[in-house]
Amino acid sequence: METLQPASITIEEFNVISDIFSQAITGELIGMSNFASLVETIDDPHEKMEAVEHANSERSHAEGFMAYAKKKNLKININLHSPYWGNVRKQFLSYAIKKDFIACLIIQEVILESFAVSMYTDVANALGGEAGRLFHNIADEEKEHLEHSSDILRAELNKDPKAFIKKFEEIHFNCMTILAEFTATTDLRGHCGVCNGDCMKGALHHIGLDVTVMRGNALALYASALDNIGIPGEKSIIWIARLPA
Amino acid sequence: MDCQAPSLDFAIIGHQENWQHITALINDIRTPRLEKLPVEKIKSIFSFIPPRDVFKINAKSKTGAEANGVYIETFIDPDMLDAQYIRTNISKVMNAVAFAKKLGAKVVTMGGFTSILLEGNFDSFSPGPSKFTTGNTLTAAFIVKGVEKAITQYGINLQESNILIVGATGDIGMACTNYFKGKTKKMLLCARNKNRLQKFALELIKDNILVNYSIVLDELIPEADIIICVASSTNIQMANCKKNVLICDAGYPKNLETTIDNPAAVHLFHGGMGQVLNGYSINPDYSKSMYHYEAPYISHGCALEAIVLALENKFETYSTGRGNITNDKMEEIYDLSLKHGITVAPFYNTKGLW
Ligand SMILES: NC(=O)C1=CN([C@@H]2O[C@H](COP(=O)(O)OP(=O)(O)OC[C@H]3O[C@@H](n4cnc5c(N)ncnc54)[C@H](OP(=O)(O)O)[C@@H]3O)[C@@H](O)[C@H]2O)C=CC1
Ligand SMILES: [Fe+2]
Ligand SMILES: [Fe+2]
Repeated sequence: METLQPASITIEEFNVISDIFSQAITGELIGMSNFASLVETIDDPHEKMEAVEHANSERSHAEGFMAYAKKKNLKININLHSPYWGNVRKQFLSYAIKKDFIACLIIQEVILESFAVSMYTDVANALGGEAGRLFHNIADEEKEHLEHSSDILRAELNKDPKAFIKKFEEIHFNCMTILAEFTATTDLRGHCGVCNGDCMKGALHHIGLDVTVMRGNALALYASALDNIGIPGEKSIIWIARLPA
Repeated sequence: MDCQAPSLDFAIIGHQENWQHITALINDIRTPRLEKLPVEKIKSIFSFIPPRDVFKINAKSKTGAEANGVYIETFIDPDMLDAQYIRTNISKVMNAVAFAKKLGAKVVTMGGFTSILLEGNFDSFSPGPSKFTTGNTLTAAFIVKGVEKAITQYGINLQESNILIVGATGDIGMACTNYFKGKTKKMLLCARNKNRLQKFALELIKDNILVNYSIVLDELIPEADIIICVASSTNIQMANCKKNVLICDAGYPKNLETTIDNPAAVHLFHGGMGQVLNGYSINPDYSKSMYHYEAPYISHGCALEAIVLALENKFETYSTGRGNITNDKMEEIYDLSLKHGITVAPFYNTKGLW
């Protein structure tokens, strides 16, 4: 079997790549679960089918990452109840229960996808090769999810800007706070519950990455997504500035 | 939309002077309810943020007219203004320009270093209803009118004085030189690029203007009675000034007081600044952290140019390129400015008002 064991890469590189795949698989499974939960709460048959399709798309992403991890014998740890991912899921469920399709879209397709697209792209560029291509391809698909949701949310904003912005603001602080803590240089909520050993944040430099740059890029993409939806700059700057750092 | 200005007459594209100001602003935005972020944490995020409007501005004219605009922050790192970062910075400025267009601002001024990065050239902008200006004409007008006011205050005779222009071949420097030439004993001109400086100086000499020029500032300073500093460098050093020399620090950032060898022996004011007599307000109100002047309603000439144009309903590319500012244009924008109650700011420096 082809493995990514120390002969070709250092043990530090192996560990951090394993952790990155663990995070990515966990994230995709959370996405899959989110859309699966949404299915039950939607009455409209078309939206229901679309949610199933979305869930399936995230499943295939998880599978893609898993297949590569298996092939390279990576040390994978999946934990859907970890402090950060579990809390994101809890937030999502709280809106899914209320059948709040728009809120679910904001969480999964704007907040989580902004981070996924940006971080997958950074990882893809750092890893290169087969792993790089895998991350690039999945990032491209996530980008489509992000763009698709922006169209829906822009229309939603135009219906009632004040109410929409108020709702988005609440979701931003409930969910983006978790991601901001997750990606802070120092652990603001303790161990992430996914990485093997110490959290990978301090070890990213082994593969030429830096959590500060990754978080900065992700926030930048999120900010642009907010612009694209039509959230005024004077609001988005407040939302970003008030996140934990 | 409720969060946008009702109609966007103008936009001011700008950047922050230093990390101290940025830290104060971000912590102001965070409100005292949240813990204060130290500068290191702010540095790790700030420059990643794409340009966006941060607050609305409403300016009032003495005629009763009002203009509504926004301030668009470029999120340029104040420690990265050097030439080596030019590509990153230009890309930020171009994103800010796109943002201003998207907001539908009728006239947009390129504040601080943002116009210098593009050399005042807006040709590459895709056509659209938004008009762009460097704001340099009103800045130059406030500088020269400010200097005239100050020399009256100090009883300095202009005809018997030598004026030194640091940054003489720049857009504002040329405008100031052309304004004062023939009115002084001698013009002293300084810039780093010798060819450009020589070419400009020779044109003046042809017009029988007495000129001394040098790329070495130290050679000119001892002769100067009045100094206007409009260089686009942040590290201008001044030594051996005449006693009681009048200095107008109009560069960006205005930091000559920290580099001059004997600040107590000179009369230094921050130039190119104006004051809106009928006031302006910003919303959300970040003035607590963003406003750093001892008198009310002060702002940079470049920002005020957009406001004057907006108050006049004169939505045009007023200042563009380098070397296009004429005395007539300076007088015109200055008169319009006065019409709306926007005057040369009271004299001040880091120690406060004169
Ligand atoms: N209200 C205000 O306070 C405003 C202030 N400004 C500031 O005014 C300044 C000039 O703007 P602008 O005319 O548009 O800029 P330009 O780029 O057109 O001109 C800059 C001039 O400074 C010269 N220069 C740069 N570094 C030095 C140096 N170390 N020693 C001597 N000369 C130097 C340049 O020539 P060379 O390269 O050959 O040295 C050039 O002549 C800037 O600092 C700008 O930020 C602008 C708008 C409003
Ligand atoms: Fe996915
Ligand atoms: Fe997705």
